[in-house]
Amino acid sequence: MTAQTIHHPSHQVQINKVYLHPLPVRIWHWLNALGFLLLIVTGFQIRYVDLFGLMSFEAAVKLHNWVGFGVIANWFLWLFYYMASDKVTNYHPDLDAKDFFDRYFRQVQYYAWGIFTGAERPHRVHPHDKFNPMQKLTYQFVMFISAPVTFLSGLMMWDVQRFAGLIEMAGGIRVVNTIHVFMFILFVFFIIIHAYMGFLGSKPSSHFKEMFTGYEEPHV
Amino acid sequence: MKAKPQVLVIDDDAVVSRSIDRVLSDRGYEVDTALSGEEGLKDIENHDYDVVFTDIKMPGMDGIEVARRIRDKYPLTPVVVITGYGTTENEAQASVLGVSGFVRKPLTPELIENITHKALEKPVLEVQAANEPAAPSAVPETSSGLAKAGRVAKNIALFLAAPFIALGYVIALPAVGFYMFARFALEALRKRRSAS
Repeated sequence: MTAQTIHHPSHQVQINKVYLHPLPVRIWHWLNALGFLLLIVTGFQIRYVDLFGLMSFEAAVKLHNWVGFGVIANWFLWLFYYMASDKVTNYHPDLDAKDFFDRYFRQVQYYAWGIFTGAERPHRVHPHDKFNPMQKLTYQFVMFISAPVTFLSGLMMWDVQRFAGLIEMAGGIRVVNTIHVFMFILFVFFIIIHAYMGFLGSKPSSHFKEMFTGYEEPHV
Repeated sequence: MKAKPQVLVIDDDAVVSRSIDRVLSDRGYEVDTALSGEEGLKDIENHDYDVVFTDIKMPGMDGIEVARRIRDKYPLTPVVVITGYGTTENEAQASVLGVSGFVRKPLTPELIENITHKALEKPVLEVQAANEPAAPSAVPETSSGLAKAGRVAKNIALFLAAPFIALGYVIALPAVGFYMFARFALEALRKRRSAS
Protein backbone atom coordinates (compact mmCIF):
# COMPACT_ATOMS: atom_id res chain seq x y z
CA MET A 1 0.00 0.00 0.00
CA THR A 2 1.35 3.46 -0.89
CA ALA A 3 2.04 5.75 2.03
CA GLN A 4 3.02 9.29 2.83
CA THR A 5 4.27 10.91 6.01
CA ILE A 6 2.51 13.77 7.73
CA HIS A 7 3.22 15.64 10.94
CA HIS A 8 1.08 15.01 13.98
CA PRO A 9 1.38 16.97 17.26
CA SER A 10 2.72 13.96 19.12
CA HIS A 11 3.94 11.61 16.41
CA GLN A 12 5.35 11.50 12.93
CA VAL A 13 2.40 9.64 11.46
CA GLN A 14 2.59 7.37 8.46
CA ILE A 15 -0.64 7.88 6.52
CA ASN A 16 -1.90 5.05 4.35
CA LYS A 17 -3.85 5.89 1.25
CA VAL A 18 -7.43 4.76 1.60
CA TYR A 19 -8.77 2.18 -0.84
CA LEU A 20 -12.04 3.93 -1.44
CA HIS A 21 -13.37 2.78 -4.79
CA PRO A 22 -13.31 -1.00 -5.40
CA LEU A 23 -12.79 -2.18 -8.96
CA PRO A 24 -16.47 -3.03 -9.69
CA VAL A 25 -17.45 0.50 -8.59
CA ARG A 26 -14.82 2.08 -10.84
CA ILE A 27 -15.87 -0.02 -13.84
CA TRP A 28 -19.51 0.83 -13.15
CA HIS A 29 -18.67 4.53 -12.75
CA TRP A 30 -16.81 4.89 -16.05
CA LEU A 31 -19.32 2.80 -18.02
CA ASN A 32 -22.05 4.95 -16.53
CA ALA A 33 -20.19 8.15 -17.41
CA LEU A 34 -19.74 7.02 -21.00
CA GLY A 35 -23.35 5.87 -21.21
CA PHE A 36 -24.75 9.12 -19.83
CA LEU A 37 -22.61 11.24 -22.15
CA LEU A 38 -23.87 9.24 -25.14
CA LEU A 39 -27.44 9.50 -23.89
CA ILE A 40 -27.10 13.27 -23.48
CA VAL A 41 -25.61 13.75 -26.95
CA THR A 42 -28.14 11.51 -28.69
CA GLY A 43 -30.92 12.99 -26.54
CA PHE A 44 -29.99 16.48 -27.74
CA GLN A 45 -29.92 15.19 -31.32
CA ILE A 46 -33.38 13.62 -30.96
CA ARG A 47 -34.88 16.63 -29.18
CA TYR A 48 -33.32 19.35 -31.34
CA VAL A 49 -33.15 17.58 -34.67
CA ASP A 50 -33.09 20.87 -36.60
CA LEU A 51 -30.26 22.38 -34.55
CA PHE A 52 -27.73 19.55 -34.62
CA GLY A 53 -26.49 17.41 -37.48
CA LEU A 54 -24.26 14.92 -35.67
CA MET A 55 -26.21 11.95 -37.00
CA SER A 56 -29.55 11.14 -38.54
CA PHE A 57 -32.63 11.14 -36.31
CA GLU A 58 -33.07 7.38 -36.83
CA ALA A 59 -29.45 6.64 -35.92
CA ALA A 60 -29.72 8.87 -32.82
CA VAL A 61 -32.89 7.07 -31.66
CA LYS A 62 -31.32 3.65 -32.25
CA LEU A 63 -28.12 4.55 -30.39
CA HIS A 64 -30.09 6.22 -27.58
CA ASN A 65 -32.16 3.05 -27.10
CA TRP A 66 -29.19 0.67 -27.08
CA VAL A 67 -27.14 2.82 -24.74
CA GLY A 68 -30.23 3.28 -22.57
CA PHE A 69 -30.55 -0.48 -22.10
CA GLY A 70 -26.83 -0.68 -21.35
CA VAL A 71 -27.14 1.99 -18.66
CA ILE A 72 -30.16 0.21 -17.14
CA ALA A 73 -28.18 -3.06 -17.01
CA ASN A 74 -25.27 -1.17 -15.47
CA TRP A 75 -27.61 0.28 -12.82
CA PHE A 76 -28.65 -3.26 -11.82
CA LEU A 77 -24.97 -4.22 -11.54
CA TRP A 78 -24.51 -1.27 -9.18
CA LEU A 79 -27.58 -2.32 -7.18
CA PHE A 80 -26.56 -5.97 -6.81
CA TYR A 81 -22.94 -5.11 -6.08
CA TYR A 82 -23.87 -2.83 -3.20
CA MET A 83 -26.53 -5.18 -1.85
CA ALA A 84 -23.92 -7.93 -1.66
CA SER A 85 -21.13 -5.73 -0.31
CA ASP A 86 -20.41 -4.40 3.15
CA LYS A 87 -19.80 -1.05 1.40
CA VAL A 88 -23.58 -0.76 1.23
CA THR A 89 -23.22 1.49 4.30
CA ASN A 90 -22.12 4.27 1.93
CA TYR A 91 -25.72 4.57 0.78
CA HIS A 92 -27.36 4.07 4.16
CA PRO A 93 -29.69 6.87 5.17
CA ASP A 94 -28.85 9.04 8.15
CA LEU A 95 -31.66 8.42 10.57
CA ASP A 96 -30.86 11.35 12.85
CA ALA A 97 -32.28 14.19 10.74
CA LYS A 98 -30.99 16.97 13.00
CA ASP A 99 -27.45 15.66 12.94
CA PHE A 100 -27.66 15.06 9.21
CA PHE A 101 -28.78 18.61 8.39
CA ASP A 102 -26.21 20.09 10.79
CA ARG A 103 -23.46 18.21 8.96
CA TYR A 104 -25.05 19.03 5.60
CA PHE A 105 -24.83 22.76 6.27
CA ARG A 106 -21.34 22.50 7.70
CA GLN A 107 -20.45 20.98 4.31
CA VAL A 108 -22.29 23.81 2.50
CA GLN A 109 -20.30 26.34 4.53
CA TYR A 110 -17.10 24.51 3.66
CA TYR A 111 -17.84 24.57 -0.07
CA ALA A 112 -19.05 28.18 0.11
CA TRP A 113 -15.93 29.62 1.74
CA GLY A 114 -14.05 27.18 3.97
CA ILE A 115 -12.46 25.56 0.96
CA PHE A 116 -11.07 28.94 -0.14
CA THR A 117 -9.69 29.79 3.29
CA GLY A 118 -7.98 26.45 3.86
CA ALA A 119 -10.46 25.24 6.49
CA GLU A 120 -10.39 21.60 7.51
CA ARG A 121 -12.76 19.34 5.59
CA PRO A 122 -15.80 18.62 7.76
CA HIS A 123 -16.11 15.06 6.48
CA ARG A 124 -13.36 12.45 6.64
CA VAL A 125 -13.66 9.74 4.05
CA HIS A 126 -13.75 6.09 5.00
CA PRO A 127 -14.37 3.09 2.72
CA HIS A 128 -17.66 2.50 4.53
CA ASP A 129 -18.59 6.17 4.77
CA LYS A 130 -17.05 7.87 1.78
CA PHE A 131 -19.73 10.43 0.94
CA ASN A 132 -20.10 13.72 2.75
CA PRO A 133 -23.74 14.59 3.61
CA MET A 134 -24.20 16.67 0.43
CA GLN A 135 -22.81 13.90 -1.75
CA LYS A 136 -24.78 11.24 0.06
CA LEU A 137 -28.15 12.93 -0.36
CA THR A 138 -27.38 13.74 -3.99
CA TYR A 139 -26.29 10.19 -4.82
CA GLN A 140 -29.21 8.66 -2.95
CA PHE A 141 -31.57 10.89 -4.92
CA VAL A 142 -29.83 10.32 -8.26
CA MET A 143 -29.37 6.55 -7.94
CA PHE A 144 -32.62 5.63 -6.20
CA ILE A 145 -35.04 8.17 -7.64
CA SER A 146 -33.82 10.08 -10.72
CA ALA A 147 -32.25 7.09 -12.47
CA PRO A 148 -35.22 4.69 -12.08
CA VAL A 149 -37.68 7.45 -13.09
CA THR A 150 -35.57 8.21 -16.18
CA PHE A 151 -35.31 4.53 -17.08
CA LEU A 152 -39.02 3.95 -16.65
CA SER A 153 -40.06 7.01 -18.67
CA GLY A 154 -37.49 6.07 -21.33
CA LEU A 155 -38.82 2.52 -21.53
CA MET A 156 -42.37 3.82 -21.93
CA MET A 157 -41.34 5.98 -24.88
CA TRP A 158 -39.25 3.19 -26.39
CA ASP A 159 -42.34 1.04 -26.91
CA VAL A 160 -45.44 3.18 -26.59
CA GLN A 161 -47.84 0.38 -27.49
CA ARG A 162 -46.41 -2.15 -25.07
CA PHE A 163 -46.53 0.35 -22.18
CA ALA A 164 -49.80 2.03 -23.22
CA GLY A 165 -51.46 1.20 -19.90
CA LEU A 166 -48.59 2.63 -17.86
CA ILE A 167 -48.44 5.74 -20.04
CA GLU A 168 -52.12 6.33 -19.49
CA MET A 169 -51.67 5.89 -15.74
CA ALA A 170 -48.86 8.46 -15.80
CA GLY A 171 -51.09 11.01 -17.54
CA GLY A 172 -50.29 10.47 -21.21
CA ILE A 173 -47.26 10.51 -23.47
CA ARG A 174 -46.69 14.27 -23.08
CA VAL A 175 -46.40 13.90 -19.32
CA VAL A 176 -43.98 10.97 -19.71
CA ASN A 177 -41.94 12.92 -22.24
CA THR A 178 -41.82 15.98 -19.96
CA ILE A 179 -40.66 13.83 -17.03
CA HIS A 180 -37.96 12.25 -19.21
CA VAL A 181 -36.74 15.64 -20.46
CA PHE A 182 -36.82 17.08 -16.93
CA MET A 183 -34.68 14.19 -15.71
CA PHE A 184 -32.37 14.71 -18.68
CA ILE A 185 -31.91 18.37 -17.60
CA LEU A 186 -31.22 17.24 -14.01
CA PHE A 187 -28.59 14.77 -15.24
CA VAL A 188 -26.90 17.42 -17.39
CA PHE A 189 -26.61 19.68 -14.33
CA PHE A 190 -25.52 16.76 -12.19
CA ILE A 191 -22.71 15.85 -14.59
CA ILE A 192 -21.48 19.47 -14.83
CA ILE A 193 -21.42 19.86 -11.02
CA HIS A 194 -19.99 16.36 -10.59
CA ALA A 195 -17.13 17.18 -12.98
CA TYR A 196 -16.50 20.51 -11.20
CA MET A 197 -16.38 18.77 -7.80
CA GLY A 198 -13.92 16.34 -9.32
CA PHE A 199 -11.37 19.17 -9.34
CA LEU A 200 -11.70 19.80 -5.59
CA GLY A 201 -9.38 17.05 -4.42
CA SER A 202 -6.03 17.56 -2.70
CA LYS A 203 -4.78 18.39 -6.21
CA PRO A 204 -7.07 19.24 -9.15
CA SER A 205 -6.32 15.87 -10.73
CA SER A 206 -6.57 13.81 -7.50
CA HIS A 207 -10.21 12.73 -7.66
CA PHE A 208 -9.91 11.83 -11.35
CA LYS A 209 -6.84 9.68 -10.65
CA GLU A 210 -8.63 8.09 -7.73
CA MET A 211 -11.44 6.90 -9.98
CA PHE A 212 -8.80 4.94 -11.93
CA THR A 213 -6.60 3.69 -9.10
CA GLY A 214 -9.27 3.30 -6.42
CA TYR A 215 -7.04 4.95 -3.80
CA GLU A 216 -7.88 8.29 -2.27
CA GLU A 217 -5.03 10.31 -0.90
CA PRO A 218 -6.17 11.67 2.46
CA HIS A 219 -6.24 15.46 2.73
CA VAL A 220 -3.73 16.45 5.34
CA MET B 1 -5.43 16.07 38.07
CA LYS B 2 -5.37 16.08 34.29
CA ALA B 3 -7.10 18.97 32.58
CA LYS B 4 -8.48 16.86 29.74
CA PRO B 5 -9.25 13.15 29.51
CA GLN B 6 -6.39 11.46 27.64
CA VAL B 7 -7.20 9.04 24.86
CA LEU B 8 -4.91 6.79 22.85
CA VAL B 9 -6.00 5.38 19.50
CA ILE B 10 -4.06 2.40 18.13
CA ASP B 11 -4.91 1.69 14.51
CA ASP B 12 -2.77 0.93 11.47
CA ASP B 13 -5.32 2.85 9.38
CA ALA B 14 -4.45 6.46 10.16
CA VAL B 15 -7.70 7.67 8.66
CA VAL B 16 -9.64 5.89 11.41
CA SER B 17 -7.30 7.30 14.08
CA ARG B 18 -7.71 10.79 12.69
CA SER B 19 -11.51 10.43 12.61
CA ILE B 20 -11.53 9.52 16.31
CA ASP B 21 -8.96 12.25 17.00
CA ARG B 22 -11.11 14.86 15.28
CA VAL B 23 -14.34 13.83 17.01
CA LEU B 24 -12.87 13.57 20.50
CA SER B 25 -10.58 16.62 20.22
CA ASP B 26 -13.64 18.69 19.32
CA ARG B 27 -15.29 17.42 22.48
CA GLY B 28 -12.49 18.29 24.86
CA TYR B 29 -10.37 15.14 24.90
CA GLU B 30 -6.66 14.98 24.27
CA VAL B 31 -5.95 12.32 21.68
CA ASP B 32 -2.72 10.54 20.76
CA THR B 33 -2.43 8.03 17.96
CA ALA B 34 -0.25 5.01 17.33
CA LEU B 35 0.02 2.99 14.16
CA SER B 36 0.82 -0.38 15.72
CA GLY B 37 0.25 -2.34 18.89
CA GLU B 38 3.94 -2.12 19.77
CA GLU B 39 3.98 1.65 19.37
CA GLY B 40 0.77 1.96 21.38
CA LEU B 41 2.12 -0.10 24.27
CA LYS B 42 5.23 2.08 24.36
CA ASP B 43 3.02 5.16 24.55
CA ILE B 44 1.04 3.65 27.41
CA GLU B 45 4.27 3.07 29.36
CA ASN B 46 5.11 6.75 29.12
CA HIS B 47 1.68 8.22 29.50
CA ASP B 48 -1.36 7.75 31.70
CA TYR B 49 -4.36 7.29 29.39
CA ASP B 50 -7.98 7.37 30.47
CA VAL B 51 -9.20 5.32 27.49
CA VAL B 52 -7.42 3.28 24.84
CA PHE B 53 -8.98 2.47 21.47
CA THR B 54 -7.38 -0.37 19.56
CA ASP B 55 -8.17 -1.80 16.15
CA ILE B 56 -8.64 -5.55 16.27
CA LYS B 57 -6.90 -6.33 12.96
CA MET B 58 -3.40 -4.94 12.66
CA PRO B 59 -0.21 -6.22 11.14
CA GLY B 60 2.15 -7.47 13.85
CA MET B 61 0.50 -7.36 17.24
CA ASP B 62 -3.28 -7.52 16.90
CA GLY B 63 -5.86 -5.73 19.03
CA ILE B 64 -6.62 -8.81 21.13
CA GLU B 65 -2.98 -9.06 22.17
CA VAL B 66 -2.85 -5.31 22.84
CA ALA B 67 -5.97 -5.57 25.03
CA ARG B 68 -4.48 -8.58 26.85
CA ARG B 69 -1.22 -6.76 27.62
CA ILE B 70 -3.03 -3.64 28.77
CA ARG B 71 -5.26 -5.74 31.04
CA ASP B 72 -2.22 -7.49 32.56
CA LYS B 73 -0.21 -4.34 33.17
CA TYR B 74 -2.85 -1.62 33.56
CA PRO B 75 -6.04 -3.35 34.67
CA LEU B 76 -7.81 -0.07 35.40
CA THR B 77 -7.35 1.38 31.90
CA PRO B 78 -10.52 0.98 29.82
CA VAL B 79 -9.93 -0.49 26.37
CA VAL B 80 -12.34 -0.10 23.48
CA VAL B 81 -11.86 -2.51 20.60
CA ILE B 82 -12.53 -1.29 17.06
CA THR B 83 -13.89 -4.09 14.91
CA GLY B 84 -14.94 -4.48 11.31
CA TYR B 85 -17.70 -6.54 9.82
CA GLY B 86 -18.19 -10.22 10.65
CA THR B 87 -15.77 -10.29 13.56
CA THR B 88 -18.06 -11.77 16.17
CA GLU B 89 -15.52 -14.44 17.11
CA ASN B 90 -12.89 -11.79 17.73
CA GLU B 91 -15.35 -9.82 19.80
CA ALA B 92 -16.01 -12.91 21.92
CA GLN B 93 -12.27 -13.31 22.41
CA ALA B 94 -11.91 -9.68 23.40
CA SER B 95 -14.92 -9.92 25.73
CA VAL B 96 -13.18 -12.40 27.97
CA LEU B 97 -10.32 -9.94 28.33
CA GLY B 98 -12.75 -7.51 29.90
CA VAL B 99 -12.63 -4.74 27.35
CA SER B 100 -14.92 -1.83 28.04
CA GLY B 101 -16.65 -1.93 24.71
CA PHE B 102 -16.63 -2.53 21.00
CA VAL B 103 -17.12 -0.07 18.27
CA ARG B 104 -17.88 -1.31 14.79
CA LYS B 105 -16.81 0.36 11.60
CA PRO B 106 -18.03 2.55 10.02
CA LEU B 107 -17.52 4.88 12.92
CA THR B 108 -19.85 7.80 13.41
CA PRO B 109 -19.15 10.76 15.71
CA GLU B 110 -22.03 9.72 17.99
CA LEU B 111 -20.73 6.17 18.22
CA ILE B 112 -17.23 7.35 19.13
CA GLU B 113 -18.50 9.81 21.70
CA ASN B 114 -20.95 7.39 23.32
CA ILE B 115 -18.48 4.54 23.61
CA THR B 116 -15.85 6.88 25.11
CA HIS B 117 -18.35 8.15 27.68
CA LYS B 118 -19.35 4.61 28.56
CA ALA B 119 -15.75 3.48 28.87
CA LEU B 120 -14.97 6.37 31.20
CA GLU B 121 -18.04 5.77 33.33
CA LYS B 122 -17.88 1.96 33.72
CA PRO B 123 -15.30 0.60 36.13
CA VAL B 124 -13.23 -1.89 34.17
CA LEU B 125 -13.23 -4.57 36.83
CA GLU B 126 -17.02 -4.58 36.81
CA VAL B 127 -17.01 -5.13 33.05
CA GLN B 128 -14.46 -7.91 33.43
CA ALA B 129 -16.61 -9.70 35.99
CA ALA B 130 -19.63 -9.43 33.75
CA ASN B 131 -17.72 -10.82 30.82
CA GLU B 132 -15.95 -13.65 32.60
CA PRO B 133 -18.42 -16.49 31.92
CA ALA B 134 -18.19 -15.96 28.19
CA ALA B 135 -15.43 -17.81 26.34
CA PRO B 136 -14.62 -17.77 22.65
CA SER B 137 -15.52 -21.43 22.32
CA ALA B 138 -18.82 -20.71 24.04
CA VAL B 139 -19.98 -18.67 21.06
CA PRO B 140 -21.71 -21.19 18.84
CA GLU B 141 -21.05 -20.99 15.11
CA THR B 142 -24.76 -20.65 14.44
CA SER B 143 -25.06 -17.56 16.61
CA SER B 144 -22.20 -15.82 14.79
CA GLY B 145 -23.77 -16.89 11.50
CA LEU B 146 -27.11 -15.56 12.64
CA ALA B 147 -25.55 -12.32 13.80
CA LYS B 148 -23.90 -11.92 10.41
CA ALA B 149 -27.15 -12.69 8.59
CA GLY B 150 -28.93 -10.18 10.81
CA ARG B 151 -26.34 -7.54 10.01
CA VAL B 152 -26.61 -8.21 6.27
CA ALA B 153 -30.43 -8.04 6.47
CA LYS B 154 -30.21 -4.76 8.39
CA ASN B 155 -27.76 -3.35 5.84
CA ILE B 156 -30.04 -4.23 2.94
CA ALA B 157 -33.14 -2.93 4.73
CA LEU B 158 -31.41 0.41 5.35
CA PHE B 159 -30.23 0.48 1.73
CA LEU B 160 -33.78 -0.05 0.51
CA ALA B 161 -35.13 2.55 2.95
CA ALA B 162 -32.63 5.12 1.64
CA PRO B 163 -34.76 6.44 -1.27
CA PHE B 164 -37.74 7.16 0.98
CA ILE B 165 -35.69 8.93 3.63
CA ALA B 166 -33.69 10.77 0.94
CA LEU B 167 -36.92 11.96 -0.68
CA GLY B 168 -38.13 13.24 2.69
CA TYR B 169 -34.85 15.07 3.26
CA VAL B 170 -34.88 16.56 -0.25
CA ILE B 171 -38.42 17.85 0.30
CA ALA B 172 -37.46 19.26 3.71
CA LEU B 173 -34.18 20.71 2.46
CA PRO B 174 -35.41 24.15 1.26
CA ALA B 175 -37.26 24.84 4.52
CA VAL B 176 -34.43 23.52 6.69
CA GLY B 177 -31.94 25.44 4.54
CA PHE B 178 -33.84 28.67 5.03
CA TYR B 179 -33.97 28.07 8.78
CA MET B 180 -30.25 27.25 8.94
CA PHE B 181 -29.36 30.31 6.89
CA ALA B 182 -31.53 32.56 9.09
CA ARG B 183 -29.96 31.08 12.24
CA PHE B 184 -26.48 31.54 10.83
CA ALA B 185 -27.22 35.17 9.81
CA LEU B 186 -28.69 35.98 13.25
CA GLU B 187 -25.68 34.49 15.02
CA ALA B 188 -23.30 36.48 12.82
CA LEU B 189 -25.30 39.66 13.49
CA ARG B 190 -25.25 39.01 17.23
CA LYS B 191 -21.49 38.45 17.17
CA ARG B 192 -20.99 41.64 15.21
CA ARG B 193 -23.11 43.63 17.65
CA SER B 194 -21.34 42.26 20.70
CA ALA B 195 -17.97 42.99 19.09
CA SER B 196 -18.82 46.65 18.35
